Amino acid sequence: MKKYVIKRLLLLIPIVLGITFLSFGMMRLAGSDVVLQQAEGSGAALSQEAMEARREELGLNRPFLVQYADWLKGFLTGDLGVSYVSGKDVFSELVSKLPATLLLAALSAALTVAVAVPLGILAAIRQNRVTDYLIRGCSFIGNSLPNFFTALLLMYFLSIRFSVFPVISDGVSLRSAAMPAFTLAIAMASKYVRQVRAAVLDELGRDYVEGALSRGIPFSVVLRKNVLRSCLSAILTLLALSVGSLLGGTAIVESIFMWDGVGKMAVDAISMRDYPVIQAYVVWMAVIYVIVNLAADLSYRILDPRIRMGGER
Amino acid sequence: MDSGGREVTVRRQKIKKNRVKVRLIIFLILAAALLAAAVWAEALCPYDPYAQDMSAALQPPGPAHLLGTDRYGRDMLSRVLIGARSSIFSALLLAGITGMLGTAAGVACGYFGGAADMVIMRISDICLAFPSLVFAMGIAAVLNGGMKGAVIALAAVGWPKYARLARSQTLTVKNSDYIAAARLSGSSALQIIFLHILPNTGGPILVTAALDIGTMMMELAGLSFLGLGAQPPAAEWGSMMSGGRSMLQTSPWVVLSPGLAIFVSVALFNLLGDAFRDWMDPKGPGGHG
Amino acid sequence: MRKKTGILLLALCCLTAALSGCGGQKENEGQNGAEETAVKEFVMGDTTFNAENGEADINPHHDSGGWPCIRYGVGETLFRFSDEMELEPWLAESYETVDELTWVITLRDDVYFTSGRHMDGEAVKECLEHLTENHVRAAGNLSMGEITAEGQQVTIRTETPVPALMNYLADPYGCIIDMEAGVTEDGIVTGTGPYQAVALETDTRLELVKNPEYWNGEPKIDKITVRTISDGDTLTMALQGGEIDAAYGMPYASYPLFENEDYTFSSCATSRVFFGAMNFESPVTSDPAVRQAIAMGIDKESFVKTLLDGNGYPAVGVFPDSFTFGGSAVSTETYDPEGAKQLLEEAGWTDTDGDGIREKDGQPLTLRWLTYPSRQELPLLAEAAQATLGEIGFDVSIQNTADHNTIRTDSGAWDIYVSAFVTAPTGDPEYFFAYCCLDGSYQNVGHYHSDRLEELAGQLAAEFDPARRGELAVEMQQTVLDDNAYVFCSHLRMSMIARAGVTGLTAHPCDYYEITVDLDIQ
Repeated sequence: MKKYVIKRLLLLIPIVLGITFLSFGMMRLAGSDVVLQQAEGSGAALSQEAMEARREELGLNRPFLVQYADWLKGFLTGDLGVSYVSGKDVFSELVSKLPATLLLAALSAALTVAVAVPLGILAAIRQNRVTDYLIRGCSFIGNSLPNFFTALLLMYFLSIRFSVFPVISDGVSLRSAAMPAFTLAIAMASKYVRQVRAAVLDELGRDYVEGALSRGIPFSVVLRKNVLRSCLSAILTLLALSVGSLLGGTAIVESIFMWDGVGKMAVDAISMRDYPVIQAYVVWMAVIYVIVNLAADLSYRILDPRIRMGGER
Repeated sequence: MDSGGREVTVRRQKIKKNRVKVRLIIFLILAAALLAAAVWAEALCPYDPYAQDMSAALQPPGPAHLLGTDRYGRDMLSRVLIGARSSIFSALLLAGITGMLGTAAGVACGYFGGAADMVIMRISDICLAFPSLVFAMGIAAVLNGGMKGAVIALAAVGWPKYARLARSQTLTVKNSDYIAAARLSGSSALQIIFLHILPNTGGPILVTAALDIGTMMMELAGLSFLGLGAQPPAAEWGSMMSGGRSMLQTSPWVVLSPGLAIFVSVALFNLLGDAFRDWMDPKGPGGHG
Repeated sequence: MRKKTGILLLALCCLTAALSGCGGQKENEGQNGAEETAVKEFVMGDTTFNAENGEADINPHHDSGGWPCIRYGVGETLFRFSDEMELEPWLAESYETVDELTWVITLRDDVYFTSGRHMDGEAVKECLEHLTENHVRAAGNLSMGEITAEGQQVTIRTETPVPALMNYLADPYGCIIDMEAGVTEDGIVTGTGPYQAVALETDTRLELVKNPEYWNGEPKIDKITVRTISDGDTLTMALQGGEIDAAYGMPYASYPLFENEDYTFSSCATSRVFFGAMNFESPVTSDPAVRQAIAMGIDKESFVKTLLDGNGYPAVGVFPDSFTFGGSAVSTETYDPEGAKQLLEEAGWTDTDGDGIREKDGQPLTLRWLTYPSRQELPLLAEAAQATLGEIGFDVSIQNTADHNTIRTDSGAWDIYVSAFVTAPTGDPEYFFAYCCLDGSYQNVGHYHSDRLEELAGQLAAEFDPARRGELAVEMQQTVLDDNAYVFCSHLRMSMIARAGVTGLTAHPCDYYEITVDLDIQ
């Protein structure tokens, strides 16, 4: 068990190496750099010499591989560098954005589960009846609204028409997190309702269910004791995947609601070509990816001891 | 479910199977109609979708313009029709690319195993963990923006899902008796893959791809929202929506028309995917990676 | 399993309760606020106050930090601009020039920093020295040599003649701050303005409190919060929902929502111009007839009227009407599609294959229009021009990309580069020409060259008389326009929208002054 966990954690090394190198390369390909972006943003032109001096200072005029090696060296000694834009330490900047991201991720995942699981089960046991069609209809609507649009609609109805929640977030609080969490949960729950429904239907179609029913065990008991338990792993996978993507930040939703999380930080850093911040973000993504997958695998095992550790997924 | 009687159940299943078939055919026809509308959009457009007429800007829906006009005075109905082409075809193309790439990689991994498997799976880890936004920015810059860049970026982060699925399917099939028999009878690896493995793994992958088309349309729309997708004056639903979103309160038709188009086609593709899955395999979907 | 369902339901209930409980809290807060009417609060939403714009903090010596410093009433400069963009004293009383290189500035005697320190010559000297050491652009503009301070007098010697030195000192980077109090880790500085910054979170918020000792009257608001809201629609809804009292950077499409008695607008023309620079190395735009046809083929009036909803002014030259040397002081082509067609026909650009696009010697009349999306007006302009130029026989292909900075340096990749530029941030005309039009200009990416313009620029650089500088500016603009090297489409009309009841929030042509001592709220 311990060995397995260690082996999985070791995966981090190639992933972090690959992902940081790739992002380094992508951002260089993207052209422009922080000096140009800032010169343009300030609306006032800088002289060529001034820009070159700034590049020299940031080390941007060195060969690509040297810059990467340099970054890697810093990374290995625990130094993620300093943001080109704000001049602050990148690591502490990332850490300062985490509470907001964690809260939003937890809240929207909780909302998603709370909505998707009961509705998915309901749709499955009422298959092809009005309830089922209604639930699936809603899930189609939720699924085909781009989230920036859901966000606008929610803002319009919840904030302006009925003033339940504020439009702009005011620090990291549950109340401020409500609107972005709803926006995210609507899209996710719509997707998961269908998958939960499919998973439950899949189980209901199995022989043992029919067997249990014919032995006179009430349907509700079979549903609770057997079907739900088997579906739990499907639900867990879904949840693990979405928590992973939520922890990576949700660029669009965060910037619409001025939610000061990791996603917004990443978009800003990308548009400013603030390489140290982008690199830190990418490392964070790699860490989440490995941990979330590991957690999902471990929980399968706990739920379903038939799966061998280290077995094929 | 709660009533007994084996015969009744069997008959029910037969009826159900027939229903599924009918459903599948209906959705296939509808999807074909949608595709046809996209292909022959030009002939269906009442106006030139790119012709501006500033004096007729932001007209609400009416007899002259069924879905109103945008702020350049362009007919929304025509733009939505023309937009179908880039929106739907990009999503189909994307599903096609990711599906094929992923399947190829996954089957290769599953069948050959060994070092190649290791390397490809590690690459897929990296791609899965890699933020698509960074990818999109980089590729958009190299290709000077446009839908092409958005499609490539999403394909780059989307293929591992299929690779995982195809790999696990291949592993299951690979150890079955008929593969062993085929191998004994001297079939080459390629023959086995094309004649035995692909036909037996294709189903779940096709279902996943069909269900993915809707999601892909949304993701393309999201990239367009961030300015990384379609370029003006191209009519593409996502960018039409994001371009007009500040008019939600003042001229809602500018946002709602493309929004409705996205909704209808995403729903249609999802329903088609559902029906397809039910028809292929009534027991439900294969494992999602 | 029943237990688990129970837990789930419980969690759901808790969540709902927590969320709605918080909702209740708001009402309570509202009541508390109503009871304490003594404290006047004001919330401003701004789309531009962010690190992307170089405004990570309010330190005028760092990037564009001077803009928020001066806009939100923290810092003030030695001189300021009147509504006609003429220089007038602010922290300084007067200045005189001893010779081309030496300036003597006399400061007001009644000004104190919010730290309590008296603003004297020594404080100004420290501030300016720190500025030129830390701010590359300022150092380049000011060309500062030795500074000496004596009582309320500061003597500045420049290394080269800088006729516009006093204008440059009125740039936001010239905010006078107390260097003894220094710059905090968050980038907060101590100025002389009506409000004092107490807390700053980059890209999020700035908290200000009133400076009761302000030298020029008593500020009327007790507490001001400036919120960074990057998304235009969020800004719209925040103002609609009453979460902010005033907004800067509202999308034009939202204006109709506020054109009623519940809100007030304050607008004015700024020197931010949307203009196209022709590429003189391109086989298409190097032809003078083509450039003239482009100038005649852009319908500036319709663009401003329909697409900007009237939130702009059709431009003639570099500077808007509010400048003595701007607006109709110069002349250029007007929208004339028929004339443009004829012109192209005469110059040999004809549509031989009947596809609606003209050709000459096998070269199709394709115009690669390079622009970028971060200014909402630019893509609109591109699409509008695409249609009107298309009628004349151009094939306009738009390249609207955030990566325009690298593309524009490759003169083989574009024909016209359309951008937004603040042409006279310090009210002085020299800046625009020096940065955009001359042989040595960094921004002259289209490689435009005019002997006449070079000569006039030489005269301008050595001219100290403001009136004569204005005349030269007119001549220079006319030279550029006669060559159709640039086509100026529209000047930005900057607007601030506030809730009815907000007074003293006035848009200024230089866009520097927002929150002043006059700001009040009912």
